[in-house]
Amino acid sequence: MIEVEGLSKRFGKTQAVRDLSFRVDPGTITGFLGPNGAGKSTTLRAILGLVHQDEGSARVLGVPYRQLDRPLHRVGAVLEASEVHPGRTGRNHLRVLAAAASLPRSRVEDVLALVELSTAAKRRVKGYSLGMRQRLGLASALLGDPEVLVLDEPANGLDPAGIRWLRDFLRTLASEGRTILVSSHVLAEVAQTVDRVVIIHRGTLIRQATVPEVLASVQGATRVRSPEAGRLRELLAAQGGAVTAVGDGTLAADLPPERVGEVAAANGIVLHELTVERATLEEVFLELTGGETTQ
Amino acid sequence: MSALLASELLKVRTTRGWYVYLLVIVLFGGLAAAAEIGSAEDARRSTLEFQVGLVEAASIAGLLGLILGITIVTTEFRHGTITPTFLAAPVRERVLAAKAGAASLVALLFFVLALVVIAGVAVVWLAVVGADLQAGSGELWERVGQTLLGAVLWALMGIAVGSLVHAQVAALVGTLIWIFIGEPLLGALLGLLDLDGLVSYLPFQALDAADGAGADSLLAYGPGLAVAAAWVVAIGAAGLVRTSRRDIS
Repeated sequence: MIEVEGLSKRFGKTQAVRDLSFRVDPGTITGFLGPNGAGKSTTLRAILGLVHQDEGSARVLGVPYRQLDRPLHRVGAVLEASEVHPGRTGRNHLRVLAAAASLPRSRVEDVLALVELSTAAKRRVKGYSLGMRQRLGLASALLGDPEVLVLDEPANGLDPAGIRWLRDFLRTLASEGRTILVSSHVLAEVAQTVDRVVIIHRGTLIRQATVPEVLASVQGATRVRSPEAGRLRELLAAQGGAVTAVGDGTLAADLPPERVGEVAAANGIVLHELTVERATLEEVFLELTGGETTQ
Repeated sequence: MSALLASELLKVRTTRGWYVYLLVIVLFGGLAAAAEIGSAEDARRSTLEFQVGLVEAASIAGLLGLILGITIVTTEFRHGTITPTFLAAPVRERVLAAKAGAASLVALLFFVLALVVIAGVAVVWLAVVGADLQAGSGELWERVGQTLLGAVLWALMGIAVGSLVHAQVAALVGTLIWIFIGEPLLGALLGLLDLDGLVSYLPFQALDAADGAGADSLLAYGPGLAVAAAWVVAIGAAGLVRTSRRDIS
């Protein structure tokens, strides 16, 4: 559906993307994650034929974007909310794009209603809030009812209610069988929505997997509660695990739960609780990217 | 292709600047015609030469066409709308071709509007003072055709410049400075070097000649048209390469 192979792009002295390869399968929502400046926008723009890569290839629906016949009918994209002429009305902005794609005017009204902008459509875009501009961007992406959607930081600048609206909206779009690639530097925005993640950092691929796979790959701490926490702590530390006291009689150990249970049993220590803390996607993200996020 | 052309024309019509262009043409065309007729002697007003000269005022369509041509390319870079434009039509040459078509059509409209205003003023005024109209003259209509073609060439020059220099202010101000200061200075310099013959080959000197108005310092109409067209093609080709290669980021 979307295939990126060996993509590299340099802007002057900055290597924005380096030998990046990943794929987005049909019918999935893929989160494209990385800190600000990781090369996400450059990659998306290369996929869409806006940036010329130095090396490698990017294909959408099997061909480079530029070779797509009637591209707006196949691929919808939202790159930046500000890419609208401020003096044009929201409706006219969409009419211009609809005309270029030979779409009927009724589509303009359809997508305006879909993103709940019908009442603001006759106003000039310069009077729009950032959230309204984001929704206008989504409307333009949906004009041609495309099977693939590429969204670059669609939640940027949205308030919590707007982010929630967006999340529900993306879920609806995905349930219609569309393929969605959505980038973000704020994981919480997409964590509940995406099936797969592609994580990049400094222009290179860090991880490409399903959300459960990524979560499983990072061992969470083992949490153990015992009336003899002090003795257990010394014994676990002797096993080479990093152990910290996290509360009254509770320890967090950097050891598998099996090992903690064995140590406790071998020393006759009573346990009141033994659980594995699941790493959140947020923690995985921070760990994989060395904590360099803006969060 | 016609879809992109329709889209480009819609872009032109859906911003406020559009009405400013039309207003300037009506005002300038009307005032220029009135000034010419008002300052001419009675006998001269009936001559073909005078009435052919009136058509010259319609060349305002060319200057405004140039500004519009530069603007319809550079405004897309200024406001970032070039991104959705290229997403809808990823083969960039087609977008520039559509813009060239739109600019030509708009220049044609500007010219017709200017001509209608000038003719309106002239017909009424000349009738009042009892002068003869030469509307049946082939020479008059030949000049109309030449000035129209010139206006279209000026607009195409605007597309060429805009596709080469994407920064809007630089493109607009730079072009106007070039026309009113750069070329005259360069002309004077060439004169000092005894290269006067080259002056009339400068781009906007040639475009002036392509209006058909003629002047001793300019090339004759035919060569002027050819040189002007060559400049438009050369700058347009450079602009095509520049726009095609540019990363939109």
